[in-house]
Amino acid sequence: MESQKIKELLEKYDAGETSLTDEKALREYFQNNEVTDNLKTYQLLFAYSEKTGAQKMEREVEMPASKQGNRYLWTAIAASIILVVGLFFFQNKPMEMNQSDLGTIQDKEEALQKSMEALKMVSELMNEGKENLIYLKEFNNTKDKFIKTE
Amino acid sequence: MKQQAFLDKINPVKDKMYRLALRMLISKEAAEDATQEVIFKLWARKDKIKDYTNVEAFAMTTTKNYCLDELKAKKNNNLRIVHQNYENNSISLQKGLEVKDEMHWIEKIVSQLPEQQKIVFQLRDIEQLEFEEIIEITKMKPTAIRVALSRARKKIRESLTNKHNYGITKN
Repeated sequence: MESQKIKELLEKYDAGETSLTDEKALREYFQNNEVTDNLKTYQLLFAYSEKTGAQKMEREVEMPASKQGNRYLWTAIAASIILVVGLFFFQNKPMEMNQSDLGTIQDKEEALQKSMEALKMVSELMNEGKENLIYLKEFNNTKDKFIKTE
Repeated sequence: MKQQAFLDKINPVKDKMYRLALRMLISKEAAEDATQEVIFKLWARKDKIKDYTNVEAFAMTTTKNYCLDELKAKKNNNLRIVHQNYENNSISLQKGLEVKDEMHWIEKIVSQLPEQQKIVFQLRDIEQLEFEEIIEITKMKPTAIRVALSRARKKIRESLTNKHNYGITKN
């Protein structure tokens, strides 16, 4: 661009009458050309606005926390409903099975006999198991050698 | 409006808001606080935003008004906003210290301009907005905007010229 045109544009610029396109042209001109001392101030001014326009906010914008809490609120409600429903189903099932098991023997005497048999079997098994514990006496025998109780 | 949709709308404007706040409040911290605060305000009034065709202009107007209020409050409390953000990381080394010094000088001159001129200069020369947008943001008359802009530009160059005449003794 010839200097006459630049001069005209700068006059308009000073008066605040340049369009954005004019200003862009000036900006480019001053960026790419060395200028005489009397135009130096324009160059600095354009360099300054270029540089300042590139500044960015360094801090991240934080949105209000309560809004975020709201988002989790519904998840929490859904989770607790699932939990309650789940517990309800799992607890009911074993109870139904027990009741049907209890109903197998109707006759009282037979039931008594059956339970006696069951208890007897348990006690027999207990005694059987107890026999194996006889070795534990050895502990007492050894202990008595050291600790005398009179 | 969902929060994400809101953020998508506001993010492209965020840095512009920040730069305007920085221009007016000078301190980086204060400018960041102000931007954050204004975004909260906009979020609270998100239903109204839908009606505004130009979200950017609305956001900028809100930022401008917030900063003016902030400055008024500071003045009333006899407080001055302190700042220690003179750094320069975007200018290439070859241009050297001399340019850096000039940039600080301009920064200083601009900070001494009247608020209106500061705002108009920021919106036009830094953000390169059209006059229509500046009218919408500042609610100023077109002629008033041009006058403010002209004064700001002349004042900055005048101060630079003076500085150079003092600095470099020309015979």
